[in-house]
Amino acid sequence: MSQLRINDLIPDNRLVTSGHLACPGCAAPLGMKLALNALGPNTIVVMPASCFTIIAGPWPQSSLQVPVFHTAFATGPAVASGVRAALDMQGQHDTNVLVWVGDGGTFDIGLQSLSGAAERNENMIYVCYDNEAYMNTGIQRSSATPWGAWTTTTPAQFPEASPKKDMLGIMVAHGIPYAATATPAYPADLVAKITKAKAMHGMRFIHLLSPCPPGWKCGDDEGLELARMAVQNRVFPMLEVEHGTRWRLTMEHAGDPVEPYLRRQGRFRHLSAEQVTHIQAQIDVRWQQLMRRMEAEALASV
Amino acid sequence: MPEPITTTGGARAIPQVAMSSTSTLPTHTGTWKYQVPAYHDRVAPCNARCPVGIDIEGYMNLLRLGRVEDARDLLLTENPLPAVTGRVCHHPCENACNRRTLDGAVAIHAVERMLGDLAHQHPAPTFRATPLAERVAVVGSGPAGLACAYHLARLGYGVTIFEAAAEPGGMLRLGIPAYRLPRDVLDRDIARVAAHGVEIRCGVRVGSDVAWAELTATFDAVCVSTGAHTSRALGVPGEELPGVRPGLAFLRDVNAGRRPDLGRHVVVVGGGNTAMDCARSALRLGAKVTVAYRRTREQMPAIKEEIEDAMREGAEFVFLANPVEFTARDGHVQAMVCERMALGEPDASGRRRPMPTGETFTLAADTVLTAIGESSALTQFFADVEGSDAGLRVDALGGTTRDLLYAGGDVTDLERTVADALGAGKRAAIGIDRHLRHHKGDTAELNALRFAQGNLSAARWMGRDPIVRTAPVNEVVTADDVNFTQFRRRPRHADPHLPSAAAVQGFDEVNAGLPEALAMDEARRCLNCGVCTECDVCLIFCPDAAISRAEGGAYVIAMDYCKGCGICAAECPRGAITMSQDRP
Amino acid sequence: MKKVMVGNHAVAWGARLARVEVISAYPITPQTQVVEKLSEMCADGTLPARFIKVESEHSAMAAVIGASATGVRAFTASSSHGLLYMHEMLHWAAGARLPIVMADVNRAIGPGWNIWTDQNDSLSQRDTGWVQLYCETNQEVLDTTIMAFKLAESLNVPVMLTLDGFYLSHTAEPVEVPDQELVDRFLPKREASYKLDVDEPHAFGALVKPDAYMEMRWLQQEALQKVPAALDAIERDWRRMFGRSYGALEAYRAADAELLLVTSGTVTSTARAVVDARRAAGERIGLLKVKMFRPFPTALVREALRGVPRAAVLDRNISPGHGGIFAEELRSALYDLPDGERPELFGFVLGLGGRDITPAVIEDVIEQTRAGLRPTREDLWVGVNP
Repeated sequence: MSQLRINDLIPDNRLVTSGHLACPGCAAPLGMKLALNALGPNTIVVMPASCFTIIAGPWPQSSLQVPVFHTAFATGPAVASGVRAALDMQGQHDTNVLVWVGDGGTFDIGLQSLSGAAERNENMIYVCYDNEAYMNTGIQRSSATPWGAWTTTTPAQFPEASPKKDMLGIMVAHGIPYAATATPAYPADLVAKITKAKAMHGMRFIHLLSPCPPGWKCGDDEGLELARMAVQNRVFPMLEVEHGTRWRLTMEHAGDPVEPYLRRQGRFRHLSAEQVTHIQAQIDVRWQQLMRRMEAEALASV
Repeated sequence: MPEPITTTGGARAIPQVAMSSTSTLPTHTGTWKYQVPAYHDRVAPCNARCPVGIDIEGYMNLLRLGRVEDARDLLLTENPLPAVTGRVCHHPCENACNRRTLDGAVAIHAVERMLGDLAHQHPAPTFRATPLAERVAVVGSGPAGLACAYHLARLGYGVTIFEAAAEPGGMLRLGIPAYRLPRDVLDRDIARVAAHGVEIRCGVRVGSDVAWAELTATFDAVCVSTGAHTSRALGVPGEELPGVRPGLAFLRDVNAGRRPDLGRHVVVVGGGNTAMDCARSALRLGAKVTVAYRRTREQMPAIKEEIEDAMREGAEFVFLANPVEFTARDGHVQAMVCERMALGEPDASGRRRPMPTGETFTLAADTVLTAIGESSALTQFFADVEGSDAGLRVDALGGTTRDLLYAGGDVTDLERTVADALGAGKRAAIGIDRHLRHHKGDTAELNALRFAQGNLSAARWMGRDPIVRTAPVNEVVTADDVNFTQFRRRPRHADPHLPSAAAVQGFDEVNAGLPEALAMDEARRCLNCGVCTECDVCLIFCPDAAISRAEGGAYVIAMDYCKGCGICAAECPRGAITMSQDRP
Repeated sequence: MKKVMVGNHAVAWGARLARVEVISAYPITPQTQVVEKLSEMCADGTLPARFIKVESEHSAMAAVIGASATGVRAFTASSSHGLLYMHEMLHWAAGARLPIVMADVNRAIGPGWNIWTDQNDSLSQRDTGWVQLYCETNQEVLDTTIMAFKLAESLNVPVMLTLDGFYLSHTAEPVEVPDQELVDRFLPKREASYKLDVDEPHAFGALVKPDAYMEMRWLQQEALQKVPAALDAIERDWRRMFGRSYGALEAYRAADAELLLVTSGTVTSTARAVVDARRAAGERIGLLKVKMFRPFPTALVREALRGVPRAAVLDRNISPGHGGIFAEELRSALYDLPDGERPELFGFVLGLGGRDITPAVIEDVIEQTRAGLRPTREDLWVGVNP
């Protein structure tokens, strides 16, 4: 069978239950489902404010069948550090601590606490599920919002004027054991990365591109395809970096033009041909930078 | 815990911290949806485009599951001659294959050939329904006649085939050279038909050895499948010269084991399969062969592989060349004068029409073989049966305008390929059965027997289709419906061929066929368009965890939780899930 | 065993004797020695705890929240701006009903930068749901640190103890260090009634809708209301085992007093000396030390001040636009006393930003309180030279 097999990687445990409150087509619960499938029930989730605060279900419910600690916006990695320390003090060294944070909580308000935990090489798996804006509050720009995007705080007349922050680069610069990009649209790749991360020790950072149909203004069933386009057109390359130096692309990237990706999303509808050209040029530059860096690191490691 | 003062009046047990006590299952988020997914098996394009009406996707699916014998049996349910068609069919299924857009169509012919050959080594159990009293005469033992007889026999009828030639097979034996279709392969496929109780009487020409009227009087129904054996004339000066002869007659000679002297230069006129067979046979007789065709290569009706093989084996091709005159030396043809053509507007067939340019050129020719089409010569018996120069007119079930007289194959005005003949024979068998079982009139109900607009399924007609389909929808899955991202690229296996230099030394089979392991590998390349293979993609991708495995296979969607996002349908690799606005 | 130690070390010793399991803190003057001492103890193995050296106080509080939520005994310490930076997480700790203990070394708030003591840092956290205990001596600091855990864990409320910057934090005093074995008997290992547990998974702190939020706050309030009685019982145990106790309130030479000084923190010690001198001179002046600010011990305060003619509240803090914070809380507590039994209450704001409160200042307060029939304003600023 030439079909990509992913079901081998999916055990039967249902750690995310139906009835959660994600919008139709939201990729975040899918990401969580895959992550928890890979990590298993011996996992504690720390969850600062994000869409998932809602998705996880209101008290007295929980859509996650593992322990969850909801916490304030900026504190995911810090709370997780405490959880980790407490587990270690109780001898539970094999319990995974999963910090599940949105892009706002990672790129913006939580960056300090993340940097602290990364620098201390805290033993946790940090997943940033990035839907590229503050979606829970109604689509406001974050520093993960790509250049040119519409949000409610970057109206189409004055769309997002800054490029998306290079979060992976920031994390790699901390020299942590594992940093990777992934997306629920490629489940096998995602599960492989979480599984690899699980076997490692220290700060493991996974940056998940998580499409948001209402925020991206696409069809409920289009998000995952858009995520795959974002990978294939190199907007969001699939990478993993070990110990800050060993860079690897985890799949082939076709290098498709970016325009079809932009045109299918309402948040980019206002872009002119020149702006699209600019975005393409930026992607090309970043890709070349990435290639140069990977070459340099490969040479340095010889 | 102290009794809380509540404004809601209830004495609910509220903990001191917001600690969960239940999952989210009490929340029925399924109420949000405005569209509903459902599993509907749809039709794979190969099935829809197969003139025989084979459930190709069905046997591919069985092979995927390792059920090789079931796959063989399913194939034999629809096709009496799989070892033949696996070699000589023009396989429109592959042209339709959705995998073309990814990394090349599945080599369906190779899989069919593998199963056909397997059926020779490990014959399928012969199936016959309860014997019926009625007897049917089939005239002609080409693919149409053999198919008609085969399906009738399986339905329980007594069948006799009348064949004018000494051996059965019709054009398969007379027209197709052995290097494409080894005679032992043909013999074994025909033997299977006979094994179903079909009586094959060779050397009996109906109309002379037996009267047509005698057949209609003796048998409950008659199927005519006498083929088209008369080569169409070019209608140009010099056509009557010695050395200019119908290609079909030449092939008949060669296929009967004769080796006519062709001289040095042979020119073949035409671009169809007969032309290719003539060219390659002539090459094997040592001639230098030039094929003259009045259009271009892209427009040649011959099977692509045949053209490639002819070129590989050394045939020259002159395109946009229309014969206008044959010139003689010593009373024998010595050259063909051609007019250079240019392509104009598309004609009725959709191909661009060749237009004369006035420029001429000459091709040396010791022998000219004409292969621009064949027609059938029908006797007076058919005078009041509706038809045209192209052949008899038949209805959707092979019925002619005369009661209980059915027809199929090249004798009718339909497509002239082996596969079309097999399909027509099947339709005639179903037509005869339907007629004799006193069902007449509107044939709309037969649409349920089709794969989309494709040919009828004998299995379905007999009510014994072994393939269970989930809420089937009779529409074809297009490439747009397939989610190619779920598949990895794996190019198609090419058929191994004899080296051309060796091939032209004789009439050994040129295409050696894929070894079984590679043919099985091709089967695994099948996308199973439109048919749930329980691959778990929907289950994995459902963001609402609303899909689970059902007992006894397949899946169940928890409608209490499905939000109708459509991701299952979008992500399904093969278009087997459909979204609709209907409430379940 | 008696040791001479600064207040910051008394905090560290208290935490060590309480066998805290996770510490997370960020350095800030004048709390830094707490961090240093605990680091030493963790490093030399005398305190087998994990010390998470975070990048901010916000994260320090978050980390101990995570640790406490996972069932262990967790401790932090901060001061001034550090405490303010924790503010959000102080609410979280209390709302999550986590028995965290922290020490706040009272320090003024900028700008301008000021590292010296006043109580505005901790008092501005009064509505976060933390118990607040103001200590007077290094002995009280050490003892209170241990008792705070017992109190916190008995009611699932977080407890903050405070000590004045420099006056206690950096001042060495002889301190009786209790025997570890006895402390262990007094404060056994924490048994969390709920925690993050993979064998019994629950989510904590999810969205709570209006139909239940109030009940949870009501339960929190109920727990805090039980604190005075709970502390009283704990202190009685402590006294039985170690021979010392402090009380939510301490009345010092208050019997038959015509004027009570109301103090908190180290000012109390200065005031004690002034009271002793005045008593020696035959004046009916006493002292009421308020240790527990949250929950506010309203009933005890009413009882202590009922029928006392005059009270002078010494506030080393200011609620700008209102007055001294202890004074305001006392006025509120005394309001329900019948006329004639309600003291005339003079609220003095003094000692802000570490300005010294000398006996002379307290003498001035006494004289001002005696001088008029009633205070001219709610906030009587002492020693301000505009």
